[in-house]
Amino acid sequence: MTAMSNRQSSSEKLIALGACISRVAKERDKSAFAELFDHYAPQIRAYSLAREPGADLVADELVQEVMTRVWLKAEKYNASLANLNTWIFTLARNCRIDYLRRNGRYVSEIDPTDLFNDMEDEGPGPFQLAQQSRAEASIREGLRQLPREQSEVLTKVYLEGKSHQQASEELKLPLGTVKSRVRLALKKLEVLVER
Amino acid sequence: MDRSSNHPAYELLAAYSAGSLPLSQALCVSAHLEHCHSCTRQLQRLNRVGSELMQQLKPAKASNDLKNRLLDSLDSLTDEAPAEQPKRFDPSIPRCLHQFVDQGYAELPWKRVSTDIHSVELCRDNNGAKVELLKIRPGGSATTHTHLGDEYTVILEGSFSDESGLYKQGDFVVKDARDRHTPVATQDRECICLAVTEGPIQFTGFFSRLLNPLIRRGYA
Ligand SMILES: [Zn+2]
Repeated sequence: MTAMSNRQSSSEKLIALGACISRVAKERDKSAFAELFDHYAPQIRAYSLAREPGADLVADELVQEVMTRVWLKAEKYNASLANLNTWIFTLARNCRIDYLRRNGRYVSEIDPTDLFNDMEDEGPGPFQLAQQSRAEASIREGLRQLPREQSEVLTKVYLEGKSHQQASEELKLPLGTVKSRVRLALKKLEVLVER
Repeated sequence: MDRSSNHPAYELLAAYSAGSLPLSQALCVSAHLEHCHSCTRQLQRLNRVGSELMQQLKPAKASNDLKNRLLDSLDSLTDEAPAEQPKRFDPSIPRCLHQFVDQGYAELPWKRVSTDIHSVELCRDNNGAKVELLKIRPGGSATTHTHLGDEYTVILEGSFSDESGLYKQGDFVVKDARDRHTPVATQDRECICLAVTEGPIQFTGFFSRLLNPLIRRGYA
């Protein structure tokens, strides 16, 4: 499949999934929910297994947590604030943090619940929204072209959930190098906002 | 003036977006985000990076059993929304701090550190980092000092200045062990900061070096 038709099919897929989430929100439609499950559950499991290879029960539990939130919070999902894939990512991330904290591997006195308010952030305007899907395609392309050493640190940080410190220990790199590789990768992906 | 120094670095925001930032630092980032439109926009883009990375993983098939169990449970699910009327919080307090500050800063058990500084410890993170609030009286200062660990500071109220410039509400400041600075609160009002200090307990904070008796006695 060419990159172009790939992009097209993935945006068509996203439109179909968007229709599912609004049927879940408005009609409490279980077959629409099942479609969302079929698409996202394998992704969520892969995300969990990236951090804990072989931990299938943990991965299933994460799916259960995330998809439960999808069912309960479908009404709050606002397509103008984040695309559905991104919303699912932030839910999976938040559930993973909760899970780690609940299970004692992340003993912190800080409750993460109110730390990540992604959906309540002020969303992009209509102009930015038009650019959003183009931005996603370009992030996808950019990730493909990233030098290995840069995609490696992004994978550690985003998928394996490693802190910069842990990434530096595992990759046997100075902490500063890990940070600068993250920064370089983001620059290459053209996602940095001028400030 | 270079404003970029008053925001979290890009890689720090990326770690926040990834969920891999220690929660104490995430607390500081979160408090900053409530004040900062450009970092909020930056975060949305970083979340998209995370989403694309997640989609690139090889999907790991979910069992039908898992699916059926979940579908069967849907009707009995209820949102864990609190039954009681939500508390009314002071809107000037960042939402991420409501878990520690529910009645306004004035009601906290402030401890006197020096004539200029009061502090209250909120909690500890699992990496040993200390999370506290510091209150500096108008025009108050901390003596010039160096740190032993990284320090993250977000200004919640008022403003202060040091050798590098003026910091105001919402600003995010990181100082590492090499930095020397003399923060001074501005004259017009007291300054309240959220401060996170990394490392073992004896490593003291942005304004809180005076808290450490050994350092106070001049041993460090
Ligand atoms: Zn900012």
